Amino acid sequence: MTARIIKYRWVIIGICLLTGISFGLLIPFSKTDPEIRNYVPASMKSRIETDKIENEFGVQDMIVILFCDSSILTSGNLKQIKAIDRDFSRLPGVSSRISPFTVKTIKNSEGMMVADPLIRKIPSDSSEVTELTKEILSNRFARDIVFSSDMTSASITATINRSETEDITLQKVDSIIGAHPGDARILSGGLPYIRNHIMKDVNRDAMIIVPIALIIMLLVLKFTLGDWRSVLKPFTVVLLSTALSMGLIPLLGWKLSIISLLVPIILVAVANNYGIYLVARHQEISLKNGNEPEGSILKELTSSLNMPILFSGLTTIAGILGLLTHSIIPARQVGILAATGVTAALVMSLFFIPALISLTGKKTRNANLKKVKNSWFDGFLNRLAEMIVKHPGRIILSSLILTIILSSGILLVKIETNQEKYFPKNNPLRQASDVINKKFGGSQTISVMVTGDIKSPEIMKGIDDLTMQLEDMNGVGGVFSISQAVREMSKGIYNEGERGYNQIPPSTEGIAQMFELYNMSGDQDDFKQLMNLDNSKAHILIRLSNPENKVINEVKEKITALTNDFPAEVTVGGYALIMADFAGSIIRGQVSSLIFALVTVLILLAIIFRSLKGGIIGSIPLAASILVVFGFMGFSGIALDGATALLSSIMIGVGVDFTIQYMWCFNTQIRKGLSYADATKASIGTIGRSIIINAISVMAGFSALMFSGFTSIRFFGYLVIISIGSCLIGAIVLIPAILMKFRPGFIEKKLSNSKTKKHEKENDLINITSAAFTRVGATA
Amino acid sequence: MILSILLVPLLHVSAQQPDAGQIMSKSRDLSLIGSMSATINLSILEKSGATRNRTIAMTTKSYPDGLEKRFIKFIEPADVRGTAMLVVDNKNVMDEMWIYLPALKKTRRIVSSEKGKSFMSSEFSNADMSSPALSDFVNKHTATSGSNNQWIIESIPVNEDKADEYGYSRKVTYISKDKYQILKMEFYNIDNELFKTIEIKSIFPLQDGKYMIKNMIASNLITNRKSEILFSNINEQVKVDDSFFSLQNLER
Repeated sequence: MTARIIKYRWVIIGICLLTGISFGLLIPFSKTDPEIRNYVPASMKSRIETDKIENEFGVQDMIVILFCDSSILTSGNLKQIKAIDRDFSRLPGVSSRISPFTVKTIKNSEGMMVADPLIRKIPSDSSEVTELTKEILSNRFARDIVFSSDMTSASITATINRSETEDITLQKVDSIIGAHPGDARILSGGLPYIRNHIMKDVNRDAMIIVPIALIIMLLVLKFTLGDWRSVLKPFTVVLLSTALSMGLIPLLGWKLSIISLLVPIILVAVANNYGIYLVARHQEISLKNGNEPEGSILKELTSSLNMPILFSGLTTIAGILGLLTHSIIPARQVGILAATGVTAALVMSLFFIPALISLTGKKTRNANLKKVKNSWFDGFLNRLAEMIVKHPGRIILSSLILTIILSSGILLVKIETNQEKYFPKNNPLRQASDVINKKFGGSQTISVMVTGDIKSPEIMKGIDDLTMQLEDMNGVGGVFSISQAVREMSKGIYNEGERGYNQIPPSTEGIAQMFELYNMSGDQDDFKQLMNLDNSKAHILIRLSNPENKVINEVKEKITALTNDFPAEVTVGGYALIMADFAGSIIRGQVSSLIFALVTVLILLAIIFRSLKGGIIGSIPLAASILVVFGFMGFSGIALDGATALLSSIMIGVGVDFTIQYMWCFNTQIRKGLSYADATKASIGTIGRSIIINAISVMAGFSALMFSGFTSIRFFGYLVIISIGSCLIGAIVLIPAILMKFRPGFIEKKLSNSKTKKHEKENDLINITSAAFTRVGATA
Repeated sequence: MILSILLVPLLHVSAQQPDAGQIMSKSRDLSLIGSMSATINLSILEKSGATRNRTIAMTTKSYPDGLEKRFIKFIEPADVRGTAMLVVDNKNVMDEMWIYLPALKKTRRIVSSEKGKSFMSSEFSNADMSSPALSDFVNKHTATSGSNNQWIIESIPVNEDKADEYGYSRKVTYISKDKYQILKMEFYNIDNELFKTIEIKSIFPLQDGKYMIKNMIASNLITNRKSEILFSNINEQVKVDDSFFSLQNLER
């Protein structure tokens, strides 16, 4: 094969470059999808139900503009709100508004039903302000909806439609706000703003994180491989494989999501590994056998490395493909993109790098590498090996205890799908969300649609009962339903204390005539969000002041319990519910991808080591790392979300390499006739060093995620570093101790095939990687 | 000489076109009926295709001072049958409206100063259902007025309060030159955007050139909702006593 690589090197180089560049040219055509509801499959019940409700009552995504001041009821503030509200009313992208100037007061005054605007005149003195305050506090459609009870904030809530793009509508909203300056501090919030910011931040992140990761990797490569010619080989593989997988996004008609940002980072961190092995090994062989012809050196290089690289690559791909079992759509896409990228990196490492080496090898082979032993690093490795040899039992026991203790944190792991939490606490959008949730009932909603004769008293009372019971729930900021409007209308018909006051009329005719009365004095559009024109569908809108999944699930359960015997068809949907389903998907996806990845890796390890026991032992560090990381998440309060849900598959994919490398090396040492103690010391001293430095380079790649604008992505960065660290300890501490203690038979079997025989005899099948890092060891 | 050349076209126009206000006044006079009764079918058609129908019986009486009284009784749908309304349309003061709800056995007065407010939740406003006072508007011909056998007259509310009351900043009325009958009306909002049209589909001719609109469609161009009013069983000879328009009769 080596001869063919040399023969067709230009073709190989040409194909690889052309493929990478072609796909890279597609990247600018990528579009961003900030809509988290598209993360869940369209067949999911909550999405189907939400679509049904939105078809009838329009999209329920709200923008909320907050006006905050020590006292919001000043003439200046109210004039500012009025002017902004009036301009909003002219925006084609805004379908309905609830503002201090749209809310009505329904009153029964001297035999008259009066449906007047809440603010007919802007108060000019303190007595008028007091009067207005009283009216606001007694108006259920105003208190904590358009004015906070403490009169320090007011809000304009607008639902937006699709007549213009969301981006354009938000730009117009911002420009209206900018055109009406005032004393009040204005904050903008709501899901459309969150989506808008996510879209901008995803692009910003891509522009910042990817270059940072590449620079870090370039430095790591320079540090480990020495000369730039050697550095550029694996680095080119990183660039080409990343370009290929990212170019697939527009080619497959997919869109960039927050979590697809992880694809280039995964590739930057992982795709260079195989190249590093090859280049480093080439440097070592060149140093040893400098006088041999290049073809012979290259042949030795590929025959010694192809197998372990292939196994490493396959296990990594298998781990990452675990994401395919996720029901979260972008998670599956990340699985496909990252697996494609790793496959490309693997193939390029096996063909493209040898082809490049065959071109440049002679120029570089002697330009590098001097074996310089580093006393500190070697001392540490020696002490570690000594400890493992002396106390394998204690190490196993303490690892077990530590894992059990840390894994107990799993019980505390929270699921978080609230997009508001993507932003840091000091972000204005997060601040707006906090004020909306605290003072205005929240911007995230659950919708209940009731289909039937809404004027029937049984159905209206059912709606009323549901409304009142939901209003009393913790985490519910407000409930809006047509039954509340009917109750308010009854106040305009009956006097306080009179039978019928603040009640649902007992007959269909009574309710129908009440609506007719309102239509004469009010505006039918006042309630268009709550009931359709022919009174066949009603909409109950539940605002969540605490949009946590726990609250969402409790509300959902309550609705189900209360509507079991409902005399009408009930549809439950809404953005918050989609989020709850999303959370469910995360858990199911986490479990399924974990099982898939673990089982696949176990099978692969069993094949590699030709023993089921080998597969099981090889999987121990991964299983322990999974427990430790999830336990850490529980203790540290980092929640499982769209991004961190990808963790286990990626951890398995990346972390398994270390175990394979150690066990392969140990097998080589044992087969050389060394004792278990000596084989352990030799393996730790050689491959242990490489594994540590390899892990550091992967961690360095992922550390770029700490520069993300999204809290979730930053947390993913921390967690992946912890998990790689955990896999590292598992591979160079726990696995050696297990092998030392239990001496499983498979580890003494011959693993390598005939092609690698010559190299095995030469004793350093895996030693290869250690060579790559001797420079680092020297400089460390 | 130059001046006379410049003035000739203007003189020509003014000689050709009667005063816009006078045209509006004449058209209004021809549509004013002393008293009449009719059955009205009101259909509201949503953009989604959903419809809502109301059938009402209406009796009106106009008084020389511009006062107009209307008595409305709901016939369909069944759940609002018997609901009755009494409207006293004062030209210069706030309208007075009472509604009787038979299921609740209650009569309630409704206060509304807004003539622009929707008539029974339709695209028609209360003002569209009556004849607005001419003094509330400044009328003038549009550039194309007089062509196609139509007077096209623009009516602008005399002040902002009136604009708020009527719910539009400008109205363009198309009137047939020969019969002075209204053919179409276009309504513009505060941003001078056309937001509503009313098309007269058919009329009911009365004596002395007078007429009554029989079928008209209002289209809201913003909500894409349409409302249609169809008059039937028109009786312009009906003699109605003043006592008919009383609260006692409302609850009967």
